[in-house]
Amino acid sequence: MTLADLYSIMPIIITAVGALFVLLCGPLLLSASLTAIGVTASVAAGVWAAFSTPTSTQAVAGLAFTPLARFLIPLFCFAAAITLLLSHSYNERRGIKGEEFPATVLFALFATCVLPCATNMLILFLALESVSFAFYILVSMDLSRAESGEAGLKYLLLGAVAAAFTAFGFALLFTGSGTLQLSGALARPENRVIISAGWGVILVGMAFKLSLVPGHLWTPDVYQGAPAPVSAFLSTSSKVAAAALLLMLLALSPPMPELRVPLAALSVLSMVLGNLAALRQQNIKRMLAYSSVAHMGYLTLALLSGSRDGYAAVLLYGAVYTAMNLAAFGAISSLSVEQERELITDYAGLGFTAPLRGGVLALAMISLAGIPPAAGFIGKFFIFYSAIKAGAIALAIIGILSAAASAYFYLRVVAQLYMHRGESPAPKPVSLAEGIALCCASLMILVIGVYPGPLLGAIEAALQ
Amino acid sequence: MTSLIPILTLLIFLPLCGSLLVLALRRSDAAARGVALAFSVAELALCLWPLALTGEKATGAPAGFFLYQDSAWIERFGIRFTLGMDGISLVMTLLTAFITLIAVLSAWQVKERAGLFFSLLLALQAAVQGLFLSLDLFLFYLFWEAMLIPMLLLIGVWGNGRPVYSTIKFFLYTFVGSLLMLVAIIALYLMHGAQSGSYTFGLPALVHTTIPYDLGLWMFAAFLLSFAIKFPLFPLHTWQPDAYCDAPVAGTLMLGSLLSKTAAYGLIRIAFPLFPEAARALTPLIYVVAVLGIGYFAWIAFAQRDMKRMLAYSSVSHMGFVALGIAAWSPVAVSGALLQMVNHAVTTGALFIAVGMLEERAANRDLSGYGGTWGKIPVFSFFFLVFNMASAGVPGLNNFVSELIILVGTFRVAPLAAALAFLGTILTLVYTVRLVQEVVFGKEKAPLELKDLSLREAGVLGVMALVVVALGVHPGPVLELFRTPLEVLLKQ
Repeated sequence: MTLADLYSIMPIIITAVGALFVLLCGPLLLSASLTAIGVTASVAAGVWAAFSTPTSTQAVAGLAFTPLARFLIPLFCFAAAITLLLSHSYNERRGIKGEEFPATVLFALFATCVLPCATNMLILFLALESVSFAFYILVSMDLSRAESGEAGLKYLLLGAVAAAFTAFGFALLFTGSGTLQLSGALARPENRVIISAGWGVILVGMAFKLSLVPGHLWTPDVYQGAPAPVSAFLSTSSKVAAAALLLMLLALSPPMPELRVPLAALSVLSMVLGNLAALRQQNIKRMLAYSSVAHMGYLTLALLSGSRDGYAAVLLYGAVYTAMNLAAFGAISSLSVEQERELITDYAGLGFTAPLRGGVLALAMISLAGIPPAAGFIGKFFIFYSAIKAGAIALAIIGILSAAASAYFYLRVVAQLYMHRGESPAPKPVSLAEGIALCCASLMILVIGVYPGPLLGAIEAALQ
Repeated sequence: MTSLIPILTLLIFLPLCGSLLVLALRRSDAAARGVALAFSVAELALCLWPLALTGEKATGAPAGFFLYQDSAWIERFGIRFTLGMDGISLVMTLLTAFITLIAVLSAWQVKERAGLFFSLLLALQAAVQGLFLSLDLFLFYLFWEAMLIPMLLLIGVWGNGRPVYSTIKFFLYTFVGSLLMLVAIIALYLMHGAQSGSYTFGLPALVHTTIPYDLGLWMFAAFLLSFAIKFPLFPLHTWQPDAYCDAPVAGTLMLGSLLSKTAAYGLIRIAFPLFPEAARALTPLIYVVAVLGIGYFAWIAFAQRDMKRMLAYSSVSHMGFVALGIAAWSPVAVSGALLQMVNHAVTTGALFIAVGMLEERAANRDLSGYGGTWGKIPVFSFFFLVFNMASAGVPGLNNFVSELIILVGTFRVAPLAAALAFLGTILTLVYTVRLVQEVVFGKEKAPLELKDLSLREAGVLGVMALVVVALGVHPGPVLELFRTPLEVLLKQ
């Protein structure tokens, strides 16, 4: 292992060291400084990754700083930093104490950073499960509330089943190909049946991770029960990581026409049922959970096109979705008082009493609905473009119509914010950290929406 | 000199900057109002400038365009920031600037959150201007959708009646329609790219795409659906009376005078030139909905007691003429349709403002609450009469000219449709006469304390009345502006 190798996996090291440091020195330091350390570590890792050149050579066994990692690690770091910034005052209001929170966020970040670097199926699986493991803890972090623990338990039980499926799928791929190396693993035509079976089982596991219908049942409960900053992190990084895993496997395998039908089914069911279910929700976090189901359906639509355009669309949507959901959950987190505002009607009039946060929430909703000039539009455009280009016009039209229906429940939030008067308790003034986090997320939404060129360039580079 | 100053970009970004500035000044209503007024006046002045440049020829511009700008934007998809101005765009941008200025003036009394209100008005103006200038289909779509959010908030926050219901209905209708248009745009883009090897959303290039007949029909239908909803054409109009009635006056003005014109503009600039065969195949359908619209909506307008609702139906009825002229797709008919777009914006807009003034005074829009205003508030009554006469198509006023041109142009191509549409104009006369009779001349039904127009109000209506008369007496210069671009469009 040379110095260059060490440099190339530096982001992973930074996050790991940061997590351990916070955990070990936590009792000695103020919680504000722990959050600051966490944010610094995430930003440092992200900046390091963004400014280093990717290689295909392995730094250590099973890890290489691939072009994909160069694109995804800064994104994950961005999400982790925003989550930490949001969580500080949220945790204070809710009485969540201790160094476990920032440390676990950093551990989750560490695992998500390892995932795109994996060159080996074992590492890939371990990274994926470490992500989930960190999230099991984060979801149930709010010890004073029963819902939080309940959500954690649900997530853990279903997650364990999904992990079993995924592991079995990897085992089948290993049986079929005889190697754990990703690069050589998937191109063995003589064992196509076993490999296809492996893919099928992996898809079951991934349907759970991405909350695609019918694997979505945990999503609303977990999003609702988890603390809002955790929901922000969970709905972005864990989803993008799972999508990246599928992307890595699909990009390396030969064309798999037999995957088209199951992927199409997952995609259509998620888009349609996710949006229909979201229409009926009164609770904002459950609404966002079902909306997340639908959005992962769009993402799968791009994935199944199997083309370079489709994969680029997945990455772009991953970035866009990260920004939108961080903004949405960030505003929810920051607007919470002693209790979270659960119902959509609890947000009545907040657009005027809390202009920054109301505006950010409205922007996030507009973006989720896919209305320009917000980034959601560019994301959806690219997805439907790649689907139409791949000839899946019927699927694209189903997706677009369900997206049109989704505008209704996003607009309901905007309508509550600006067109109703509310009696709900006034929010606390926005803290500096929250302000920075919300501004960063909304800036990202607007910049991608208006000038996506540089990001598209970075995605092109990531797909080399 | 014109190549040094990017007038077209300025036309879009000036109101946008105004919008942001007003938003920043929202704490003081007076400052917000003043800045909004200054920006809308500046925009109108900027729109007048190209009038002096119509003879020039911009480098690289497609035929007919005298101002042109083109720069890279999202290169991966060949999306460019392409703006162009020909005679049609010029008139439409002028109209937009004029109507926005009037909207700002007519919203002078908005008390609640005035800063945000004016900021949204200017943002909406930026989007509409962008739409009238864009020559890149993606850019056009972007502006088309960007109009929705300011409008949504304008109706929802400052509306009355059932504003939230109306605004969401408006939004969902237009959003569904436009998403299908997006599918058609992407399909067209891919088709053109596959044929020519260069992937672009540029309108001048896309016009040369060879499209299979069946597919073309579907694609044209997607465009038509999107435009017909915003137009609105029968039977896709059901959002319209609610939205028009529940919006604040300035919102109704923007919606009825400008947003409906963007749809007509889209048909003329985009849908018909891109899919000539499909358009020809579906022309009978457009004739039917146009003629049905003219008659049916006039009939319904007659049945209304709520003045604003009556005007809302009257507005769609008049838009039927625009659809009729476009369907005929001959130089005479289309130039009539374009002129009718201007006239409709001014006349109907003025009537909405006038009814808004009455409502402001008596908090009532019902016909039965008024009567005999001629003796009490003569200045108002005079203007109200003038605009109603214009709306009814009295010769010498603006609507007469454009409706006549449309009827003449259509008669050569589709005599039956023109004849039926002519019958519709009689129905227009019926409800207009009734409106005037009950409000202006009839007996006073309930004692009302009404104050006549303030200087600002008289100024607003006076300027609009001047335009009504000017376009009625001397429409030649405007029609002349349409001549060259229409030659190009109809040749395609």
